[in-house]
Amino acid sequence: MDYQALKTDVLILGSGGAGLFAALHAKKANPELDVTIAIKGLLGKCGCTRMVQGGYNVALSPGDSVERHFMDTIVGGKWLPQQAMAMRLCETAVIRVQELENELGCFFDRNEDGSLHHKAFAGQTFDRTVHKGDLTGIEIISRLMEQVRALPVQLMEEQRALALLPSRSGDCIAGVLMVDMRNGEFRLVRAKTVLMATGGGPTMYRYHTPSGDKSMDGLAMALDLGLSLRDMEMVQFHPTGLLAGRDTRMTGTVLEEGLRGAGGHLLDGAGKRFMLNYDAAGERATRDIVSRAIYAEMRAGRTTPNGGVFIAMSHLGADAVAQKFPGMVKRCADCGFDLAGGRVEVVPTAHYLMGGVVVEADTRSSLAGLYVAGEDAGGAHGANRLGGNGVANSTVFGGIAGDEMAAFAGKVETWADVDQERVDAAIDASLVPLRRDKADINSIRDRLLDVMWDGVGVLRDEAGMRRAQAQLAELKAELHDGGIGEHNRVFNLSWHDWLNLKSLLDVSEVIAAAGLSCENSRGAHYREDFPEVGSLEDSYFTVAGREGGSINVRRQAVDFSIVKPGESLIDD
Amino acid sequence: MHDSTSIQVRVWRGDAAGGDFADYEVPQQPSQTVLDVVTWIQRHADATLSYRFACRVGMCGSCAMMVNGVPRWTCRTHVNKVAQDNRLTLEPLRNLPVIKDLACDMTVFFDKWKAAEGHFSGSLTRDRPVAAISPRDRLRRAANAAIECINCAICYAACDVVSWQADYLGPAALNRAWSLQNDIRDTNRAARLQAVSANGGCMHCHSQQGCASYCPNELNPTASIAGLKRQAAGSFLKKKYPEHYA
Repeated sequence: MDYQALKTDVLILGSGGAGLFAALHAKKANPELDVTIAIKGLLGKCGCTRMVQGGYNVALSPGDSVERHFMDTIVGGKWLPQQAMAMRLCETAVIRVQELENELGCFFDRNEDGSLHHKAFAGQTFDRTVHKGDLTGIEIISRLMEQVRALPVQLMEEQRALALLPSRSGDCIAGVLMVDMRNGEFRLVRAKTVLMATGGGPTMYRYHTPSGDKSMDGLAMALDLGLSLRDMEMVQFHPTGLLAGRDTRMTGTVLEEGLRGAGGHLLDGAGKRFMLNYDAAGERATRDIVSRAIYAEMRAGRTTPNGGVFIAMSHLGADAVAQKFPGMVKRCADCGFDLAGGRVEVVPTAHYLMGGVVVEADTRSSLAGLYVAGEDAGGAHGANRLGGNGVANSTVFGGIAGDEMAAFAGKVETWADVDQERVDAAIDASLVPLRRDKADINSIRDRLLDVMWDGVGVLRDEAGMRRAQAQLAELKAELHDGGIGEHNRVFNLSWHDWLNLKSLLDVSEVIAAAGLSCENSRGAHYREDFPEVGSLEDSYFTVAGREGGSINVRRQAVDFSIVKPGESLIDD
Repeated sequence: MHDSTSIQVRVWRGDAAGGDFADYEVPQQPSQTVLDVVTWIQRHADATLSYRFACRVGMCGSCAMMVNGVPRWTCRTHVNKVAQDNRLTLEPLRNLPVIKDLACDMTVFFDKWKAAEGHFSGSLTRDRPVAAISPRDRLRRAANAAIECINCAICYAACDVVSWQADYLGPAALNRAWSLQNDIRDTNRAARLQAVSANGGCMHCHSQQGCASYCPNELNPTASIAGLKRQAAGSFLKKKYPEHYA
């Protein structure tokens, strides 16, 4: 199969907060470099940074400190975060927010005296979340997108990465095989350095929040390349996703946290409150507790018509609710639901993957020239991500990656040779669904969503995860034997649906294997057969990789390089 | 006769070389957006249908198309609100080149955003604290009123001037320029005013309000463009009659 060959100095995959910041920093650090940004969708429009509602955690308020932000991140992450990364995150967030405001033109909400407004966010000991109303992500991504478009950066929009390609000798990255989704043509982009910033996004669960373009392609390619992934069992669920039936893309999208904080009630199918049976804080309990409670109600069959629970706000006064949550009320109304005055069905929904590629605090991976930032990188959040640390993570490490990559590319004389066999094999693998007879791809997707939801979901045990592993293996075989019944590669969404499913199945296997290996319950990972937190001093995290076609998981002791359990960097 | 529990959908199929409508019958669901209708067709009726979406919740501005002749975001448009006699006609956004079926090439839209100097230039660096600005400040409020644009190009598709005059910058780019003209931190206001008042700029707006009528976020680009016209006129008068403005 023919392909077009291109060369660039710096190649960036993804245009969320990490990818765009990397492009900006790399080009500004060294304007001589040819910087290319390749995106599965349109620049700044796909990915999840744009969807950030809450805000950006930063220790900028008088009385707050980087050390306090760091301690909240470590404690919130149940002592599993890679401490050097977490510290780098908290330190650099200060600079990054000032950069967003002063150099990119973001405008975060202000207090009456003109200073930055910091709002309270769950799990933090200080009000440190800067925001732009409840649409912080749109402000950040729109301003970033404008800055990148104003620079001579090469754009490759609607280009899907198919494989990360090592050099022939295997000692550095050599490029990426892509397919132009618009015309179906293959492209080999050779690069001196590559950033993987495609964003995780656990869309293999029945209910999920991330944008539709997300399908774990980055992590699937990392597995193919032989990289190690850590904390892969750590899938964060948001307790209140909209539930509107199986056949609508609205299902799974987030109804904001603030609804419960403001006094919203959760009701079972019979209209009874249930949260107080699980936690004294009721509906105001943390995300993980509320998610587990709803999941347990669902398993017990006390559900609404679509199989979830209700959120009810009307006891607070419909007008008051409409005034306080105008965006949420309008969104529900657009979709046919009365949030202010009626009841809306909700369900826990897979929101964020804490796990990802093992990296250094400066975003380097184990392969020279390959960098990883944003949700594709594991380590910063450990077992649980604080609300407001997600966009901080992507923008902080994206910028760092851009600086590092510019320095790296400046030192590399020439492009490494690509292993031709790998290129041919990757092209061939991507064409499988065009060769096979038509299969029921929709049914495979449907079953995958249920397998992960039921077997590796909010509550887990060994028997359930083993069953899920067997089912995943069957689905993988079925997908490989099934085609889309169509040969035309031009803007063919069904072909990409198949490729998305392939990535999701590959990464689902890792989530299940890591979940089996982790025999305690911390943060997002809850084992009904191992409900205890376990000794903090002996904390371990999982590291998974593919060897000889199967997934191996080992446990690695946490390196308490900055602070040990029982200690703190702050006084209270 | 058709089943009353189904929707009759006409979808424009084709590419830059041309195309035609194809008809589909889609089962009706209680919760169903126009995006869900398109998805059903691609998944169950014709696997080759091309369209674009990402966020599913009205944040990314990827999924806009013409729905019964009107530009709309499809992820948040319930079928019940737009179907006429259970019929939908779907076409790619007006005023943009089509790539295939319902997906347009947005390059020209963003090129105009850039041509309108639609990006911030500041004087402070990342080492400095952010500027103290009161949320009540008049200019800040004006900048804020125009800021929540998701660049979905619905206004661009709704604008008749864009359809008549290919080089007209269009409502979204000019609206962004107006927001920046009110941003007291920005240092590029003179050049931007020149860019938006040159040929193809704000003076071409006929104030027909198509943009404001269809903006899903209820922004008012017409008002923003009127603001730019005032600034441009003021700037012209200052240059022509400097003695009056001394």
